[in-house]
Amino acid sequence: MVNKLILSNILHRPIRTAVSALAVAIEVAMVMLFVGLAHGLVNESAQRQEGVGADILVQPSGSSFLLAFSQAPMPLKIGEVIKDIPHVQAVAPTLILFNVGGLNMIYGIDMDSFTSVSGGFAYHSGGRFVKPYDLLVDDLYARANHIKVGQTVLLLNHEFHVCGIVEHGKGARLFIPLQTAEDLLQVQDKGSIFWVRCTDPRYTGEVIDAIHKSVPGRQVLAVKEYMALMTSNNLPGLNVFTTVVIIIAMGIGFLVIFLSMYTTITERTREIGILKSLGASKGYIIAVILREAGILTAVGIFAGYGLAAVAAKLVLARFPTLAIELTVEWAVYAAILALAGSLVGAFYPAFRAAGLDPVDALAYE
Amino acid sequence: MDPIIVTHDLKKVYRVGKVAVPALRGVDCIIHEGEFVAVVGPSGCGKSTLLHILGGLTGPTSGQVLVAGNDFSKMTDADRTRFRRHTIGFVFQRFNLLPTLSARNNIAIAQHIQGNGFDPHRFQAVVEMLGIQEKLGHRPYALSGGEQQRVAIARAVICDPKLLLADEPTGNLDTENSQTVLNMLRGLNKSFGQTILMITHNPEAAAVADRIIHMRDGRIISD
Repeated sequence: MVNKLILSNILHRPIRTAVSALAVAIEVAMVMLFVGLAHGLVNESAQRQEGVGADILVQPSGSSFLLAFSQAPMPLKIGEVIKDIPHVQAVAPTLILFNVGGLNMIYGIDMDSFTSVSGGFAYHSGGRFVKPYDLLVDDLYARANHIKVGQTVLLLNHEFHVCGIVEHGKGARLFIPLQTAEDLLQVQDKGSIFWVRCTDPRYTGEVIDAIHKSVPGRQVLAVKEYMALMTSNNLPGLNVFTTVVIIIAMGIGFLVIFLSMYTTITERTREIGILKSLGASKGYIIAVILREAGILTAVGIFAGYGLAAVAAKLVLARFPTLAIELTVEWAVYAAILALAGSLVGAFYPAFRAAGLDPVDALAYE
Repeated sequence: MDPIIVTHDLKKVYRVGKVAVPALRGVDCIIHEGEFVAVVGPSGCGKSTLLHILGGLTGPTSGQVLVAGNDFSKMTDADRTRFRRHTIGFVFQRFNLLPTLSARNNIAIAQHIQGNGFDPHRFQAVVEMLGIQEKLGHRPYALSGGEQQRVAIARAVICDPKLLLADEPTGNLDTENSQTVLNMLRGLNKSFGQTILMITHNPEAAAVADRIIHMRDGRIISD
């Protein structure tokens, strides 16, 4: 019977119901999208590094595991030393540049050594570098920016000629010759990272120990270890960002449900008086209001899932280089957050309704 | 018959800002089970306040109120609510049906609030007695005033209350519907021994009752 009463109230005010549910849907979608985007970008970036195919990466001491911030170069001679370590199959130095304008990480690579480590690029069109200012872009970047082979692209205040479009997943989205990267950074024979491939991944630990001995003072990480570090929890500021997004989203849900239920209580003052005249307890009235808020929220949560899925598709269609991970885990968290926000929002109106004087409520016009 | 309502020196004072407005100035009365009593008097004489106190909707300022042996002046708001749920039925001038529910659910919700669950036999008997079988699927806006009041009466008696309190039950009805509603109240009283306390302005309505109490300025002036 209470469900019938709640359902009839919800259906009786379709605009209010739709607006309330929509607000909750936006809350849920916002949490899922922002968190999904943060996690997606981090994980996608990590997967790209893993996609290079190396077992070990060597960085300057104290480097951030965020490769984009690892420009401090090391002498290329280190690579030659590492190459002589037993069980090392190939070493690829990479000089990382950061194109601030487009927020892109650019790998300056030595094509032969990079191919030795990664197994080479899969070309969608075009081919490898021929000239110093040749540029390889991955297919997602090309699609997002409508780039074709032969086109000129302005990067780091220089014009680059797109010589090839490659399959994504090999570290960066943009690749230029190592020598050109050195010229742009005004360094010589330097690299930001050395990708090391072992003859067998089982030798990774052994090789890491040997690298520590051969080139001390460097940061040496197994790629698997790096992958474990590359989580959004380890990224400075991202947790704060996520928390802020969650608080804002919860605030929206809380305020809308609060306002919606508060308005409902005012509109239905007489009805609450009727229930009281029939002997409905405070608990009964509070339960009716909270359950109504709960149903509105539940509708909003499922609408939010749909909204998040549609929005993610639209965003990825428009910006293919982005990555959004809509996870079941965060769908559950978002639902819990929305429900908690809504129930807190409905709590005061519910108590206010329960505390109404029945005589005043029955006389309410 | 045992007394179902006993009031002694019952007073109620409302406060409007800093001004005290006495609504009841010492009401003494006894109403027995099975009686049909009409309370008449001019507007502002305190008859609605008396009904609200007897129904447990509000408490007295002083004095004693015993309803079915329960002293309202010693009961909390929650206790009075619980008592009302099981013992008292209300019929209002403005029907006070829940607008979003069908007639059927408006009646059934009283059983639900009482907590004894839906009793189909009782439900059927009541709706047949009030002649609203055909209207059960309708919402209040689709019912005439007379039909709405009959649904309201059904809701008030569905849980078999010891006391039915009717606040101007014919106040919003035309003559024909007024007569129908009064006949039904009379029938409930005669056939089922339902105790009814009815407030009215209308002398013709009051004439249906067995006993008429006149009130003026917060006091009973004749009984």
